[in-house]
Amino acid sequence: MSAALVVRGLQASLGDLAILKGVDLEVPYGEVHALMGPNGSGKSTLCHVLMGQPEYTASGSALVGGTEVLGLPVDARARAGLFLGFQYPVEVPGVTLRELLEEMGQAAGAGAGYWSTVEAAAERMALAPFLGRPVNEGLSGGEKKRSEMLQLLALRPRVAVLDEIDSGLDIDAVREVAAAVEAMRSPDLGVLLITHYSRILRYIAVDRVHVMAAGRVIRSGGKELAGALEAGGYDAMVREAEPAAPPAADDFLQGL
Amino acid sequence: MLPLTEQTFARVAATLPEWARPSAAAGYEAFSALPPPDPRQEEWRYVEVEVDLDSLQLAESPGPPLPPDVALIGALGEPAGHAINVDGHTVAVEAADGVRLTALGPALAADGETLRGVFRSGPGPRLDRFAAAHHAFATDGVFFHLPRGRRLSAPVLVEFQATRANSLALPRLTVLVEDGAAGALVLHYRSPSGVPLVAVPQVEVVVGQNARLEVSVIQEWGDATRAYAHQTMVAARDGALVLAEAGLGGVNARLHLRLDLEGPGADAQVLGAYFGHRRQTLDYRYYMLHRARHTTSNMYLKGAVGDTARSVFTGLIRIEPEGQDSDAMQTNKNLVLAEGAEAHSVPNLEILANEVRCGHGSTVSPLDPEQRYYLMSRGLDSARADRLQVKGFFEDVLARFPQAALEPLLRRSLVARYDGLQREQSR
Ligand SMILES: Nc1ncnc2c1ncn2[C@@H]1O[C@H](COP(=O)(O)OP(=O)(O)OP(=O)(O)O)[C@@H](O)[C@H]1O
Ligand SMILES: [Mg+2]
Repeated sequence: MSAALVVRGLQASLGDLAILKGVDLEVPYGEVHALMGPNGSGKSTLCHVLMGQPEYTASGSALVGGTEVLGLPVDARARAGLFLGFQYPVEVPGVTLRELLEEMGQAAGAGAGYWSTVEAAAERMALAPFLGRPVNEGLSGGEKKRSEMLQLLALRPRVAVLDEIDSGLDIDAVREVAAAVEAMRSPDLGVLLITHYSRILRYIAVDRVHVMAAGRVIRSGGKELAGALEAGGYDAMVREAEPAAPPAADDFLQGL
Repeated sequence: MLPLTEQTFARVAATLPEWARPSAAAGYEAFSALPPPDPRQEEWRYVEVEVDLDSLQLAESPGPPLPPDVALIGALGEPAGHAINVDGHTVAVEAADGVRLTALGPALAADGETLRGVFRSGPGPRLDRFAAAHHAFATDGVFFHLPRGRRLSAPVLVEFQATRANSLALPRLTVLVEDGAAGALVLHYRSPSGVPLVAVPQVEVVVGQNARLEVSVIQEWGDATRAYAHQTMVAARDGALVLAEAGLGGVNARLHLRLDLEGPGADAQVLGAYFGHRRQTLDYRYYMLHRARHTTSNMYLKGAVGDTARSVFTGLIRIEPEGQDSDAMQTNKNLVLAEGAEAHSVPNLEILANEVRCGHGSTVSPLDPEQRYYLMSRGLDSARADRLQVKGFFEDVLARFPQAALEPLLRRSLVARYDGLQREQSR
């Protein structure tokens, strides 16, 4: 069986600004991968380029469950099985989470059991009181992330890309989100978890860690890679990956 | 049908009680003297009036009433009263025991004393040539009277309909809410589609001390109707005014609204939800006058325009020197849904007192691409995503409409209007 997500030579730019410079990445079914990298390295850009945010120009290839999604409209990518948990979930004034979940069910042609499954999940995630509130409006950081997870459960995607699902969460909330991710693990799903902290990796048995820098995946490895990052920071790894690079201006200044 | 001539005026004036005749005479004088609306005037800048008033005629008798709006009547449950005016003639009035809802004509004869202080106390004859025509030629309407201390729990429904081609319909609504009384009124404007006609309704509301009136206007004129409505609302000490308007109909529909907070502590809440399509112009001129201490007001209007429709909101908050410690807010937000559509939003403040809180905000913008993207990422196609966003846009203002029972109905109408645009675009 092919992987849930296969990204090959993915390049993307925003106007004249090239952000992704050839990303290669594969997440097999049943696995949870972590994607780490310094601020501005292009992690969120990768998410939005995969999802089809119309502002970016992209080339290369991105297969979701075997379907090439580059060039498809955003909703078609969702229907192909891609789910993106946003780093900054968007507020939709005047539309309740319940309404959104109902619309999602209709758009997906969901069967009769859809709503009871969603309600049970909302109950489990202590989100029931939020069903009647406008989507993401006035929610705390943790509540927004839980609401994203609930929508993920409702849509049952093949690929879940979770952009900083653990940012801004307290310890308990991180553990809850991690437990939710572990609970989702299934042979029909591949998860790409974007994070800055190895903290969440204590609660999730990630199968692989990828490190992104300056628009490329520069290292991939086992869980120990996260530990190495924690200890040495990104800098060393970035330099190691590009030994031929000329010394940065900062280094020059530091030598003075 | 009667032409708008001196003979017709004389005939009409003769039906009014002696004391009301000077106002009709002032109307006819203004009608003869005032020029037609001039696009060079600020007042008519964004509005193509295209009406030859002099060619219109009055319906001598009313046409058959339009079929009842079952959904609206159902939503209101048991209204405390129901009055229907067709082509300027009040044809039916029902009222629960003790509810003073009557036709204006007979009321002028029977209840003259009470009416004297209110009737035609509102929009003046020289406001524009439409107002002049109303004063000169109007004969009938509806009178709603809440005597001192009377509190009605159910609203009354007043329907103003116009049906005759090339006619000028001049219905009037006079409302007197005496000290300590409270009530609610729903005013429904309708005319058949495809019938060219002009309506100039006038509404005057006088609210006494510690009294309260909530008015919900549902404007659903037909697509060939041009309507120029004038409305005034006055509140005495600690009186409360609520006006909520849903604007959907007419090829050209203006609401000229003036609220006077005359007594200290008076409050006004003005809400609006409008949605223009095709080549409609929906045009609002709202004046909020703070004339006493501690008066408070809040205007909150939200509108959308699609196709080649246009909306105009011109709002003025004026705080007189007597209006110290007043608090006034004016907000107008617009969604522009098509290249050919436009929304003009012109809020103004005139503050002559120094101890006040006063603010205004206005926005004109397309649908939010971030929201569209987010919703589409959940599998909704762009049409579904946009529809949901439009629904959401109106939600907060609908929630503030005074008659909660109307909310589902109005929401349905607004979303249906959006669905209509979609179909026309994809054809
Ligand atoms: N809308 C935009 N306009 C200009 N530059 C942008 C825009 N979006 C992204 N960028 C740039 O692209 C680069 C990658 O940004 P991106 O948000 O993908 O980084 P990230 O890895 O997600 O960072 P973080 O860890 O801070 O979330 C950054 O240099 C950023 O400034
Ligand atoms: Mg990011």
